[in-house]
Amino acid sequence: MNARLTLSIVLMLAVVAQRARAHHSFSAVYDDKRSVTVTGVVTQFRFVNPHALMSLDVTDDSGTVVTWVVEFAGRLNLSEIGWTANSIKSGEKLTVTGNPTHAPGPRLAFQKIVKADGSELLPAAAQRNQTLEDERRERAKRRAPQG
Amino acid sequence: MRRRLLVLVILAATPAAGVAQSPLQTLEGMWSNPPRTIAGTSCAFYCTDVLLDRLNELIDDPANDSKPLSALSSDASARQRVYIEGLLTPAAKETYPLDPADDPGLLRCEPWGLVRQMFAPHQLEIRARGRDQIELHYGEWDAKRIVHMDGRPRPAGPATRLGYSVGRWDGATLVVETSGVSANQAGWNAKHSEQVKVTERFTRGADGKTLNLVATIEDPWSLRAPLVAKKIWSWSPTSQIGAYDACEPPAAVKKGAGR
Repeated sequence: MNARLTLSIVLMLAVVAQRARAHHSFSAVYDDKRSVTVTGVVTQFRFVNPHALMSLDVTDDSGTVVTWVVEFAGRLNLSEIGWTANSIKSGEKLTVTGNPTHAPGPRLAFQKIVKADGSELLPAAAQRNQTLEDERRERAKRRAPQG
Repeated sequence: MRRRLLVLVILAATPAAGVAQSPLQTLEGMWSNPPRTIAGTSCAFYCTDVLLDRLNELIDDPANDSKPLSALSSDASARQRVYIEGLLTPAAKETYPLDPADDPGLLRCEPWGLVRQMFAPHQLEIRARGRDQIELHYGEWDAKRIVHMDGRPRPAGPATRLGYSVGRWDGATLVVETSGVSANQAGWNAKHSEQVKVTERFTRGADGKTLNLVATIEDPWSLRAPLVAKKIWSWSPTSQIGAYDACEPPAAVKKGAGR
């Protein structure tokens, strides 16, 4: 993947992620310029509105267990891409990447989950963006030749 | 006596004005997220023709083919912001743009007022309620509005969060006029006053799969001229509005970060 395509996807994810977290401003709570990755064991996944929430026990290098909270889009947006209340199960080991809060604390806005078997869970925005780019390419093809 | 009876029979057989005579069936049912198109996504909350025209202009310019769509969207959104800011009165500009960190919906899980709610993302379920009412039920905040189709004007009383809505049919278009809305904030990060009046026109798209809203917002306190905004939903008969009971205020917010 070249750098421009990566940048494009990251920018679009940011735009649509903001829309997905519809009921309030994302950037007042989370820092969309930073990402944090943690690995831990799920203790709870709540498939609720306005935002689904997950609790994840993360053990640091000293052996201390810290419970992180991961905030997702709402139940409807997740359902749109096939998620259910069982998409994430208690006891699962996950690696989660997300935007941290402005104020230091164990809380993330979901960007990506990698499960123990290597499969990934991504926001609905990723699939939607591909469709939009396809539409744009089609329009470019139909454009009358210049000159 | 026989003539009087005949008149009564005719009156009883005549549907009440409004829903019973309406093309409600063209709109009734469950609508949800916008179509996965550039226009649909651009209008996921609301959009104006200023944004759509600018975005189309940018997309159709071959010089922009190498730029990410997000960059073009940002450019068009900026053009729209300038347009809307130009419509604001000095009174509204005093607090514009409102800081999202002060949003009561964020800080206190306080449901939105009409001027945000009518552009809310996710579901909009349209259902007849009796002979002369239509209910608009939104997934966001689980908010419900009643549109009164019996032609009676708004009764006297204090303004409310979602106001009082009166509807009529203009062909296949449902026209909803709402007033009596308490002062609140609009979706464009500006305050509006209790003088706000909203006219919504709901029409099913030609392909039958979309619901289009064209809303005209008038508020002499905050807007120098009417603002016309649009939104699109997709037909989504299997979608269900879930409980909206897990809103949690954040532990901390950063002022100025979302402006």
